Amino acid sequence: MSARTGVKSFWSARGAGSSTAYRLATLAPVLVLVAIFTLFPFVYSAVTSTHQVLLTLPDQTPFIGLQNYLDVLRDSSTQNAIKNTLVFTLLTVPCVTVLGLAVALLLNQQIRGFGILRALVLLPWAIPLVSAGIIWRLLLHGDFGALNGLLLQLGVVHDYMSWLSSPNLAMYAVALAHIWREFPLPAILFLAGLQLIPGDIVDASRVDGAGLWARFRNITLPYLRAPLLIVLVYETMISVSVFDLVYVLTGGGPGSATTLFSWYAYATTFTFLNPGQGAALSFIMAAFLLALIIMFLRIVRVDEGEA
Amino acid sequence: MKRSRLATAALIACGVLLALVILLPFLWALSASLQTELALFRRPPDWTPNPPSLENYLYVFTGQVPNAYNVRGLLRSPITQEARVLPIGLMNSLEVALSVVTVNLVLGTLASYTFARERFRGRETAYLFILGSRLLPAMAVAIPIFLIIKALDLLDTKIGLVLIYSAFTLPFTIWVLTLYFRSLPKDIEEAAMVDGCNRFDALRHVVLPLAAPGLAAIGAFSFLFSYDEFVFALFTTSSTSSKTVPVMIAAISVNPDASYTLIAVGIVLSVLAPIALALVFRRFITSGLVASMGRS
Repeated sequence: MSARTGVKSFWSARGAGSSTAYRLATLAPVLVLVAIFTLFPFVYSAVTSTHQVLLTLPDQTPFIGLQNYLDVLRDSSTQNAIKNTLVFTLLTVPCVTVLGLAVALLLNQQIRGFGILRALVLLPWAIPLVSAGIIWRLLLHGDFGALNGLLLQLGVVHDYMSWLSSPNLAMYAVALAHIWREFPLPAILFLAGLQLIPGDIVDASRVDGAGLWARFRNITLPYLRAPLLIVLVYETMISVSVFDLVYVLTGGGPGSATTLFSWYAYATTFTFLNPGQGAALSFIMAAFLLALIIMFLRIVRVDEGEA
Repeated sequence: MKRSRLATAALIACGVLLALVILLPFLWALSASLQTELALFRRPPDWTPNPPSLENYLYVFTGQVPNAYNVRGLLRSPITQEARVLPIGLMNSLEVALSVVTVNLVLGTLASYTFARERFRGRETAYLFILGSRLLPAMAVAIPIFLIIKALDLLDTKIGLVLIYSAFTLPFTIWVLTLYFRSLPKDIEEAAMVDGCNRFDALRHVVLPLAAPGLAAIGAFSFLFSYDEFVFALFTTSSTSSKTVPVMIAAISVNPDASYTLIAVGIVLSVLAPIALALVFRRFITSGLVASMGRS
């Protein structure tokens, strides 16, 4: 039975069939809804980005070709936003991946009580990103943050530190909140991968005297190749487009220390009132992410074919 | 193979550490929500509320101003009216999220089943189109989406949010459910259809009862997405009658007038529903996530 439901037979299945009307009726609402809210915005951003649109001059929106793109790319604040986003991504993606893997290895151990942990691990991921951000604001606040209280009590610091309003520390603070929020997803995906490793292979290698590291390197990692690729691509997309956390934690500041790309596109439109350039920035980001999405779909689909 | 006792103890220690890392931030928010602001500002603060007080919650739900706020030790207004709207926001969020779940269960199931079992021209294109759209970053499409909602005259309405969230959750739903339907044996459906059932009857009587775990998973995903979403809600809602919880607590948290204890109340209230859902549906969420991404 399972062979008949494989990929091949799915695409060539000749069901008893039903009318075109039924297919249309079931697919059209979804296609229309998705098209309205994804295709139109895409086209709209593309068009807006080639016009000069200033909220201060609402009646004059001349076509200016790629001028907005040239302007934003030459702008040093764009370069700063790109640099910040790059730093943020390089800080968070490896941490989220390694932490997710470590947590998965831990949760994969058969120990009484770990069932509860497997449930708890979902919590940071399930709550609103905004709530996660505000929780970390309470923890990291310079005037009454719990972290400051703890460090003071332990005698590590003598006075409260302003984690979120120090240009050197704010980026790490946002990254920390992001990592806390994001590690559950990789942990769950890795855990599922680990559970597919046949126990007898592990046992056999142990009998052959393979050490912990050798087993991890030669058995565990090869099995986790597919989830690893998926996690890396997916978490890169998430890190590159992070917005909510910046909104509640730092507002892009202090100065522009945590102005990540999404926040910068938002500020360009709403603070600097330049939707044309804002759209150009959005479009640059969307194009970059679209490349990642295509990569992501390819990985997932290739796996499907192999399964 | 037996682990040594030492190794087991080390693993348990790591497990406890993990639980603390996950739970302590939540517990601190809970503790702060039960304190007075002056106690919160002590250095170091009281880790457990002493004594715990429900006055902050009472203020949010009934408007009764806590006694502690009459002490003006801090050079700012220690309370904000904004916190009073949280109960309405919770209702708005639940209404929107449950509506999106319903849309996903009805439209998503119908479309997925057609994708999974029917054969027609353009099917693969339509499928890929839906999937490719699922991960567009909110900020890249937020302004045009604001304009669409404005053109539909649905600004500042819950219906507007339901439409947006449905458009952003349906692709994922279809991805998961199509895979799920394909994994079910075809024989019974085919037998039913030979006996004169049409596609819709087969779906209703044969497939749906088997698909309950998949439906639970996509229900949970669409609930969490809609309940947690911030950017679109921020852009398209403006009044209390349609603002969702994330928008409200974000506004309170960046308001310099808001008391931090009230902010903590906002956090606690905002995480209750998703935490309950994650714990109750965790098996379905986990298997749904793994089925959708972790195909190894």
